[in-house]
Order: sequence, then C-alpha cells, then structure tokens
Amino acid sequence: MEKTRYPVWFLGTVALVIAALAAFNAIAGAYILGHPAGGSVQTLSGFERALKPVWLEQIAPELVFVGSSRVRDGFDPVLIDPALGIRSFNYGASSMTPYETRRFAQDALAHNSVKHIVVSLDAFTGNGGPGEALPSFDETRLSVTPEGTPTPRRGLWLFTTRYLSGGALGMNALSAWSLAQLKTGQSAADRPDIFPAYSRMTEAVLKRDLNYRRARTMTMGDGPARELSAMLTAACRAKARVTLFFPPDNMAIIARYRQSGGLDAFKQTVRTMVARHNTSCPNKAGLFDFMAPNELTRESLRDGSSPNYVDLVHFRPPAGLWLLGQMGLTGPKGT
Amino acid sequence: MPFNSYPYFLFLAVAVLGFRLLEKGAPTGRRVFLLLASYAFYAWWRADFLALLCGSTLVNFWIGSTIEQRRARGQDRRAFLIAGLLFNLGLIATFKYETLFASTANDLLSIGLPVPDFFLPLAISFFTFEQISYLVDADAGKTHNYSLLDYALFVAYFPHLIAGPIVRHNDLIPQFHHLRSRNDDLAAGMTLFSIGLAKKSLIADNLAPFADAIFNAAGRGVALGPTDSWLGTLFFAFQIYFDFSAYSDMALGSSVMLGMRLPVNFHSPYKSASIIEFWRRWHISLSAFLRDYLYVPLGGNRRGAVRRYLNLFITMLLGGLWHGANWTFMLWGGLHGLYLTINHAFRQATKGMTVAPVLRAPLHAGAVALTFAATSLAWIVFRSPDLATARNVVGGLVGQGHSNVVSFSPLAAATLLLLFVVVWLMPNSMEIMWRHNPALPSPYPDQPVAAAKRQSWRPTPVNAALYGALCILAVLALSNLKPFIYFQF
Repeated sequence: MEKTRYPVWFLGTVALVIAALAAFNAIAGAYILGHPAGGSVQTLSGFERALKPVWLEQIAPELVFVGSSRVRDGFDPVLIDPALGIRSFNYGASSMTPYETRRFAQDALAHNSVKHIVVSLDAFTGNGGPGEALPSFDETRLSVTPEGTPTPRRGLWLFTTRYLSGGALGMNALSAWSLAQLKTGQSAADRPDIFPAYSRMTEAVLKRDLNYRRARTMTMGDGPARELSAMLTAACRAKARVTLFFPPDNMAIIARYRQSGGLDAFKQTVRTMVARHNTSCPNKAGLFDFMAPNELTRESLRDGSSPNYVDLVHFRPPAGLWLLGQMGLTGPKGT
Repeated sequence: MPFNSYPYFLFLAVAVLGFRLLEKGAPTGRRVFLLLASYAFYAWWRADFLALLCGSTLVNFWIGSTIEQRRARGQDRRAFLIAGLLFNLGLIATFKYETLFASTANDLLSIGLPVPDFFLPLAISFFTFEQISYLVDADAGKTHNYSLLDYALFVAYFPHLIAGPIVRHNDLIPQFHHLRSRNDDLAAGMTLFSIGLAKKSLIADNLAPFADAIFNAAGRGVALGPTDSWLGTLFFAFQIYFDFSAYSDMALGSSVMLGMRLPVNFHSPYKSASIIEFWRRWHISLSAFLRDYLYVPLGGNRRGAVRRYLNLFITMLLGGLWHGANWTFMLWGGLHGLYLTINHAFRQATKGMTVAPVLRAPLHAGAVALTFAATSLAWIVFRSPDLATARNVVGGLVGQGHSNVVSFSPLAAATLLLLFVVVWLMPNSMEIMWRHNPALPSPYPDQPVAAAKRQSWRPTPVNAALYGALCILAVLALSNLKPFIYFQF
C-alpha cells in the first residue's frame, strides 16, 4: 500500500463512523423529543447523566425534578405535563450522590425557563462514603461550575455530548428502541416490561427488597449536609422556587430506618436548614414529609401487586403525580 | 487545551494542515506558524498566562545570548548564569511552592506568614526546566547562537509544552531547520496518537473512578480493608501507567505528524527488573534531565560511594518535589532515592557474582515483580493528598481496616490479569512504531527501544481501518472529567 493512502483510509474510517454517529444521534434525538411518549424515556436507566443535561437545555422546562432513582422512576412528564399544563423535566439519575444532586439542582436553577424545582431528600443522605463529594459525570455539560459561575465553553461541550459521545449513543439508542416498541396509542404505562418505572411491586419483590435493603439506613452525615446547604445557598439567589420532600418510601422499609436510627435526626437537620434558609432568603423553600404514614406509604398489595410502588422505595409515576398534588402543584397557578 | 478533547483534535488538524500547506514556502514562515499555533494552544487555557510564558522566554533568551557572547569573548559569565537560575527558580518557587513553604513555616513555627493563593500556571515546571538546561548549556558552550524565533519555538512547541517530554534545545532546534515531513509521518503520527488516546480514554479513565473512590475514602478517614487497599494501589499503579504512557504517545504522535521527533519518554517501565532500570524507562526525559543537570553537578559518583548515594537521594527528593507542592511528592521522591541507593549498594555487593542459567528466568521474573511492588508502594504516597491518607492505605494492605468500598469481583480479577499481561508481556507503542522512527532514541544506551517483530505497525488498509476504529472507540469514551495526571505538574 502506498504510504500516502494510509491517512486516507484511516481518516475515511474515522470520518465515516463519526458522521454516522452524529447523524444517528441527531435523528434519534429528534425522534425522542417528537414522540408522544418521548418524555417517558426520562424514567429509563441508562446513560442519563450524559444526556439529561442536553435534554434539559433542549426541552427548556418550567418544572424540574431532581434526585436519585426514586425521582427518575416516579415523575413521568407524559403524565405530569397535561395534568399541570406545564413543561416538566425529570432530572433524576441512578445512585445520585449528594454532590451530584446539588450540581444538577444548580444546573436547573441556572436555566431561565425553570420556575420550580422539586428535590427528593434521600439523595442527601449518607455518612461520608466514597464519592459523596465527587462527580461521576462530566460537569462541563452543566450551566454553572460548582462555585456558581457560568461554565466556560459549555456550548461546545453540549454539542460534543449531544452528537459525538458514547453516552449519547447509548441513551439515544436505548430510548429510541424503547419508544419504537410502543404500538400506536400505547404509552409507557402499557409496557412495564420496557419502562420498568411502570412495573408493580409483587409479594416476591417485596420480600426480596426487604432482604436486599435489610441494612438500609436514612442518615445525613456532614458531607451530605454541606451539599444540601450549598444547594440552598444557590437557591437563595435563584428565580426558581425550590420544594424539598422526604420521599414516600413504603412503611415496611421506613420501619427499618427507624430501627437503625438516624431518620429523625436527618429530618430534624433538614427542617433546621430549611427554616434557617427561609429566614434569611427571599426565595423560600417548601418542605414536605412523605416519609411517614400516609395513604401512599401505608398501602398494601392488591391482588398480589402494588398500585403505587415498583419496589419498597421506588414509587410509580401515578404516585408521583399524587405527590405533586399534595405539594400543591395542581396546575399552572400551582407551580 | 487537553490532548484528549475535541478542540485539540480540531486544533491539531488545522496545525498539521497549515504546516503542510506552508511546506513549500519559506522555512521561517513555517516556524512562525508553529510558534503562533503553540501560543494559541497555550492561551486556550488562560490567555493572561501567555504573558508569563513569553516573558520567561524573552528573559531567558536574553540571558542565554549574553552568556554565549561573554563566553565567546572570554569574559566572566557566572553572574548571568546565577541570575538566570535564580530567575527561573524564583518563578517556579513563587507560583508553585510559596504557598507550601509559607503554610509549612506557619505550621512548624506559628509565625503567621501570609499564605499566598497563586494559581499554578500550566506547564511552568516543564518550560522552566527546559530553559534552565538551555542556560547551563549556554555556559558550557553547547548552544549555537539561536535566533529568538527558534528559541521561542523550542520553549513553546505545543506537543511538548504542557507536560513534556522535557526537551533539550539541541534535540529540537536543529529539526526546525529541516522541517519537511516524510510521507509516512502523517500515518505514523495519527496511529501513535490514536494508541495514546485509546490508552487514556479506554483504560486509564476507566480505572480512575475505582482508584479515586478508594483513595478518597482513605482521605476521609475510612479505615481501608485489605481488598480496598490492594485494589486501590493496583488500580492507581495501572491508571498512572496508562495515563502517562497515553500522554507521551499523544505528544510524540502530534509531533510526528508535523515531521518532528521528541525524545522517547516511556518504555514499558513495569518490565523493569530494578529501580535503576525503572528510571530509565519511566519519564525518561525527566530522569535524564535530573541526571545531567542535578546529579552530575552535585558530584555524581565521582566522590565515593557515600557521597554518590547522598547525591542520588537529594536528586530524587528534589525530583519528587518538582512534581508538586506537597510534601507527599517529596516523600515519594525520597522513597525512590532510598530504593536507588539500595539498588546501587546491592549491585556493588553482588558485583562479579554469577547466576546459574537455570535460575536466570525465575530470578528476573522475581526482580520484575519486586520492582513493580516497590514502585506501586511508592505510588500510594504519590497519589495520597496527605500522609494520613497514605498511612491509611498502607495500613489496609496489612489488614488494619475493614472497609468495603469496592469488592473483588471476577471482573476486577480479569481486568487486573489483562493489565498485567499488557504491561509485562506485550510490546509497547514505541516498539510497535519503532520502524517508523517515532521518537529520538533513549538517552540510556543500555535501555534502547527495539522494534517489535510480529506486532510492528505497517501502513496497510486493514491497519488503517483497525486503528481508525480504535480511534473512534476512544473518542466515544472521551470525558472532560479526567485530565492527564501530569498536567497538574
């Protein structure tokens, strides 16, 4: 082979694949955003940390949900948007650390379109475990740096993430495939095998979960408290309202939290921080406690399956809508 | 501009294209183009610090030229050399070490010195060392009345600017005057660059989260258990290996695309059977610099065994501190100084002894394993932000703690096994590319790079597609999350 041909073959291969990748991501992105059930892919677990900052920018929502997989599973914009008459966005992701939760909240607060963010407080628990104060995602995709200043060259990083990253390829492929499985007129709720957020806890799942989460605690160490404080500081200056809530974990698991201790202290720490914030900041934060006996957490299985839970801690999107009602978010005025 | 970023890919493409378009024009035009490109590369990070780079270049060029002139006239030039050294060391002390020295003095003496909060200018350790070597060589008569353009390009040439290799003026400047890339330079350069990119984004960056999680847990006082400590130590040993190897490949590959060769900087250091050999394979340009401009001026091995070991120890201590303003780096250097001293003493003690042929292979394997263990132990100190963290990790190695940050899964075992196979048994990227002249030879004649036999790269269509696919995989895994470890120095 002539040596001068090598670069042509090499660059040709690279250019061809990159072009195909960019085209796929562009087409899949448009398909997902334009699909009637497109919002439901925000409940999927995949490479959400990579692509959700891009979607947030594209969708320009008014209401944003931030938190761990409880949030990711529990708030489906396809259900919420028509009910509330607004554009919402699910910014939840698996195993969110306190640091990541603060950073995602900061990102949402920095968007002009966002009027309200709802944050699940379980993401601010932990006792200084590894990674609680570290990002596991590329922060250059977020609007602001950890200090709150605009991220330099963010447009470039969003562009490369959207079209050229492996994360976008993975999330777009998963989302587009999931949507393509829906027949005309079907929604995510009709295919819990593909959208697990709509599956229902059974007796077997309940037993397995009780065993799996037998050592689960709900405590707040110094590190998570610092992150919550940092988030409230960011919210103090923001235009968007902040609502915090203790998530409605099932009473069976709340009993475990109480046995292992720390839950009351966690709630008290949060209440104190929110009270202090509301005293000193014009932008008041709301606080709701669903991690207590209520009609959701006390539910028992009906005909062997749960109407509201995927498992003991993950509530289903209809329950998420109910929670919003309890928070007073009932329509455009409510937001 | 990190090498592992889209802006750099675009920048490199423009630089190579522009350089090749100018190839038929005047040589000066190509050098001016490369200098401007290099300054743009540096300014992408922080434009204001470009003034520091340019200022440092001008001052050193003036002092170096003056030394050369005075030497030619037979005049005393010591004052200029000392002034030049003080200028460079003062610059690096101010920006890099003042905070460390002030805070340490406050801790030890409670004297309340103001602790400055300087922002560390990118690459200052590298361009300062390169300019010190220029001044010392000017005093020794080894420089050749370079033009300001040549000198400025030598300092700022973008493939080596940020994190080395540490280049000597006489290695690089003569190449500026024979700027004409060969036909296969582009092919060899982009292949080497792709290998480096793959090492970084597919291997080093995927090991980093595990090493980070474990070392961060140790830093927060979690008493590490044996599994965490061993895995953290091994993961970091491999992370830094592939991270620095990747950087070196990408730097050399970028330069090869422009038709210029940088010194070989990385040559399978974990294949070393002794610490002496390790330093002839790891960060080769730094160890050669320390040898020539610190160890030898201190007296080297010319004043007896004790003085030799002391010189070695001092050289490695300062080499450690060069890496960063933290006493852990100095301790890391000190550990390597101690290792080298023991290694030299052992060699002296066993001089003339022979080993039965049947024992050679197992002894060599044992020596390689021992060298790897010693360097990995030292990496713990290097990676730890403070001594308490390092103590915690070392304590975990001997079973003092009970944490369970990560678990030893079959995947972790398979990963480690694969990594050992790669670093111990596979040819390195220099050996794969060596037939195509990707770098200047090693300054250590007893550790030459030899071309791989079967795995040697050839510019075939199949290889083009394979390395192109490797490049794409690496690009898909790109992240701004993990800059090169050596960028911080």
